[in-house]
Amino acid sequence: MLISMSHVTKTYAMGESKVRAVDQVDLAVEKGEFISIWGPSGSGKSTLLNLMGAVDRPTSGTILVNGHDLGRLSDNQSSELRNRFIGFIFQRYNLIPVLSAVENVMIPLQIQGVSSGQARQKALARLDLVGLSAVARHRPDKMSGGQQQRVAVARALITDPALVIADEPTANLDSDTALQLIVLMREINRGQGTTFVFSTHDPRLLAHVQRRIRLQDGRIQDRREEVADAMA
Amino acid sequence: MQWLKIALRNLLKNRRRSLVTLMAVAIGFAAVGLFRGYTANTYEGLRQSAIRGEGLGHLTIYKAGWAAHAHGDPQSYMLTPAEIEKIIAVTEADPHVLLATPQLHVAGLVSNGRISNIFLAKGVVPADYRTITGGMSGMRAMQGQDLSPEAPFGVLMARDLATQLDMPPDSDGVIMATTLDGQMNALDIRVSGTYDTGSDATNDKYLLLSYAYAQSLYDTDRADRLIVLLDHWRYTQAARLRFEQQLTAAGVPCEIKSWEELSLFYSKVKGMFDMIFMFIFLIVLIIVVMSTVNTMGMSVMERTREIGTLRVLGLKRRGISVLFALEGALLGLLGSLCGVVLNLVVWAVIRMAGPSYIPPGVSTPVPLVVNLLPVAMLVLALFLTLLSMAAAVLPARRAARMELVDALGHV
Repeated sequence: MLISMSHVTKTYAMGESKVRAVDQVDLAVEKGEFISIWGPSGSGKSTLLNLMGAVDRPTSGTILVNGHDLGRLSDNQSSELRNRFIGFIFQRYNLIPVLSAVENVMIPLQIQGVSSGQARQKALARLDLVGLSAVARHRPDKMSGGQQQRVAVARALITDPALVIADEPTANLDSDTALQLIVLMREINRGQGTTFVFSTHDPRLLAHVQRRIRLQDGRIQDRREEVADAMA
Repeated sequence: MQWLKIALRNLLKNRRRSLVTLMAVAIGFAAVGLFRGYTANTYEGLRQSAIRGEGLGHLTIYKAGWAAHAHGDPQSYMLTPAEIEKIIAVTEADPHVLLATPQLHVAGLVSNGRISNIFLAKGVVPADYRTITGGMSGMRAMQGQDLSPEAPFGVLMARDLATQLDMPPDSDGVIMATTLDGQMNALDIRVSGTYDTGSDATNDKYLLLSYAYAQSLYDTDRADRLIVLLDHWRYTQAARLRFEQQLTAAGVPCEIKSWEELSLFYSKVKGMFDMIFMFIFLIVLIIVVMSTVNTMGMSVMERTREIGTLRVLGLKRRGISVLFALEGALLGLLGSLCGVVLNLVVWAVIRMAGPSYIPPGVSTPVPLVVNLLPVAMLVLALFLTLLSMAAAVLPARRAARMELVDALGHV
């Protein structure tokens, strides 16, 4: 099992009141799954992804990722876990504006201390995988939204992570580009066995996922498991 | 290397803001560098002026107790011929000693036959005094002839004293003083030449006469001091300690003063310039720190989401601090490099224009010269780079401690 969440709750203070963004969630994710978390705005999708990605800490409950209890990790250990085992794709791409596409993809490896030459070679291969070899030297402001998000996918895959977490990766893309991105992620999931967990509110994309989890008011509403043969 | 690239490109991205900070560092660097160069030249000039111009040599040796007791009983605290011989033997055995020569300083009245004035005079061995003053003697305006054994009662008279007494070169007069035994003594003099002491305070009082003639005036065969000239001023303190030990061992206990202690100007001017330098340095320090903190603070604000992203990708808190510290250091380094260029340009302009000025209490114009000090500039560049880096640490630490979720959600 890649992820195991048990009785996980996350509470935020909003003025004098407290809001339960995630409420008593139990969830298990196996290696190689392609999962979508969906639900209305404010349902707790981003919080849930942040918790399983070691970006945030639960108020209560236990989260195990690849056998690591996230609650017991120090800040530095969490950073190492994120760097080595988890890839991240953001809604607004979050590329470093002063770096070119290939330099952005190199970052996670350079954080590990891999030499520039090796990191560049692997980054170019990942850009080739997402079909962006031609724009490797371009900076983010010279690329379209779809291209930027593909660079973000290449960056998320550079360390060969067991898990990729994507928070609303298609929210800023037009519907065709959004579909292309989901197709690309699914191909990588099938080809390399990388586990994908992503959030979306676009019902058309849900048809392409292997399993979808609906979230409402911080609680999981149903656990229907579907085989998305539409991608095949 | 990637982090350096990020730091450099972010500085270039915010060109205008970076330029303002760079200029603040550069102007600060140039101000400190130029003033340091000016003071270095001034100290050098004052040192030469004290050792050579004032004829103090590097060390002045008195008999032990001179400073405390000589006023009431000068004869007992003067050096006898035997003691002088011993001191010269001990000091001239030292490889750094160029010369050891006795002097007798006398005071009294000088008269042209109609009017009199007080004088302070050095009785010197003319050839030795020329060795001590060296090239500096040529820099002082002089009329007439120098001291010479052929004119045993010839004196050099300071410019303003000669004017007051109307005693141009080749004019005759009389000097009067009480001998060490308390008898009034008067000797004829002939003004061999007049000279500029370089100071308004002494130009109306000073005489130079031969050592033997000064001894005649005081009716003694003794000297009140012995001047030692070294081959470099850096050996002054070491030689002083050595001579104190050696002379005590030789049975001639002495007290030894360095040129710094005896110089009229050096210590006071150095103290004043050091204070001004510290003041300028503090202002520059505050400007550099505030500029860097402001620039880096704005950079942290603008790049909050970037910081969050890097942290999510696995960069540790220390990594974020290092990234911003690198930017601060780059600002300091590039600013210092611009400062070096600015320093060189101003230095070249001053060198070409060759301005001069008359400092307070000095009788002749002094050229404004600024030394180029490569080592001091290197140290200053290193200091400002480290200072900018340290100034960037505060905002960098704030950036590093940000909650990831808050940083990612920042717009």
